[in-house]
Amino acid sequence: MEADKDNNKQVLKEHQTNEELMKDDQNEGLIDEITKENIHLKEEIQKLEAELQEAAGVFQIKEDIPETKIKFTSLETPEDVSQFSNISYSFEVKSQVPYELQKGQALITFEKEEVAQNVLQMEKHRVQMEDVILEVTANPVPLNTGVRFQVHVEVSKMKINVTEIPDELPEDQMRDKLELSFCKSRLGGGEVESVDYDKRSGSAVITFVEAGVVDKILKKKEYPLYINQSCHRVVVSPYIERHVKKYQVFSGISKRTVLLKGIENIQMEEEIVEDLINIHFQREKNGGGEVDVVKCSLDQSYIAYFEE
Amino acid sequence: VRLKMRLQELQQLKRELRNSPKDKIPFPVPEFPLVFRGHTKQGRPVPKSLVSNLRICCPLPGGSALVIFDDPKVADQVLQQKEHKIDMEECWLRVQVQPLELPMVTTIQVSSQRNDQRVLVTGFPAELRLSEEELLDKLEIFFGKARNGGGDVETRELLQGSVVLGFAKEEVAQNLCRIGQFRVPLGRQEVPLRVFPYVSGEIQKAEIRSQTVLRSVLVLNIPDVLDGPEMHDILEIHFQKPTRGGGEVEALAVVPPGKQGLAVFTSESV
Repeated sequence: MEADKDNNKQVLKEHQTNEELMKDDQNEGLIDEITKENIHLKEEIQKLEAELQEAAGVFQIKEDIPETKIKFTSLETPEDVSQFSNISYSFEVKSQVPYELQKGQALITFEKEEVAQNVLQMEKHRVQMEDVILEVTANPVPLNTGVRFQVHVEVSKMKINVTEIPDELPEDQMRDKLELSFCKSRLGGGEVESVDYDKRSGSAVITFVEAGVVDKILKKKEYPLYINQSCHRVVVSPYIERHVKKYQVFSGISKRTVLLKGIENIQMEEEIVEDLINIHFQREKNGGGEVDVVKCSLDQSYIAYFEE
Repeated sequence: VRLKMRLQELQQLKRELRNSPKDKIPFPVPEFPLVFRGHTKQGRPVPKSLVSNLRICCPLPGGSALVIFDDPKVADQVLQQKEHKIDMEECWLRVQVQPLELPMVTTIQVSSQRNDQRVLVTGFPAELRLSEEELLDKLEIFFGKARNGGGDVETRELLQGSVVLGFAKEEVAQNLCRIGQFRVPLGRQEVPLRVFPYVSGEIQKAEIRSQTVLRSVLVLNIPDVLDGPEMHDILEIHFQKPTRGGGEVEALAVVPPGKQGLAVFTSESV
């Protein structure tokens, strides 16, 4: 916003030096226009940056995951005992491959691939639109590349992260102090299996023998660490491992959907045009066949989603 | 004004890129057939990706049970009392209840990153009759041999239509990419396969928040007095009694003492 205001002021100053007298309303209107232009420019820049990134083979996925309702499916008893040490959370992410449908274009999806291929081969089609015959061309749909992958998050039920450990004792001694404090059940701890202490960062990972101790400790954000006579409060947080699996870049190819171009100078509603296109391409004698979906753009562009 | 200059810069780069399409993506990318089903949106912003197949596995300790009620209000009511007395014919049991909390990922940020120790192997014929294990084994054997240009294989992963192999040494991966083409024995035939550098994904950010599962109650410290199925029935009867604040039970799973169970949750389909 700072940059915007500076830009605005800069442009205003330029105008003011050119024209000495400016009314306040005109200024406001100008600022509005400039702000709108800036927003538009920013959007264009974002879009181009993403496109260039994709072209360079760099993909970034940034998603806010909305609250999903979950339901209990089953109780399992897996043989792999390690599965009991974590709460595992996994999901798949697939990038949407959008196509920007421009004015004068339409997308038509056929039930059968062969029909779509045939329509493409014929290239030119003459479609009856009430009292006008429209010449449309059939083209393949240019689609971008996308990525898909799985995200696995494991929240440990046996380990915790400890941070803000004071740097007051040599490594070995501090490790012992940590074990002593965290094994006391009256403080909320439990039997410790191991302590992984990093003196430099003042942090440690504590592994307990039993699951369940972690839940108790993490009810609070801090835990008491006793060093000789004094008590320090160290910060505790869940030990979480996250990985990406099956990361794959793919290129979308449309086999059943065809792009029609040349739907111009029509004074009809989009829905009616869609129906007429549908009827035309349903007919075998026109080179068509069963049609699933038709979407046409006359006055405004749309973003069309391609899915598997 | 500054924004305009930046836009022009980018447009220039884009033009340059268009003029040299070969620089697009240096590795082959499998083609996935996609179809337009009529879903459109006007204007921006466009959600760039879809999240699906959510699966949460939560370990439950021995001597516990998970009760799922039809009505979330019933679950809330049951949870008002921390301890429940469960009546049985000759005695009663005392158990504790608590809400079930699970971690939920609220934001995810993943960017692609070149992985110099891994390679992508492609070119598998569609009619290949090998199981995942068999295929991965054969590839590991072939590419594990120095005389084939390979070396120690550390990781292996099957993707859709291709395989990712991870090597202990970067030089091995680089060497294989340089050679590029191999004839690999897969079963009865020798198949021509191609090897390319692999781009993997790294998590830049994953925000996790704890969420209470609605309609669910976790029952703990169930004494070891009955068999699994019998305990199941006793618990169900108890939690269905409206006089005890209970209600219709949608599901109930018991983990007998001394054992462990994994409760699996999936996203409710829209």
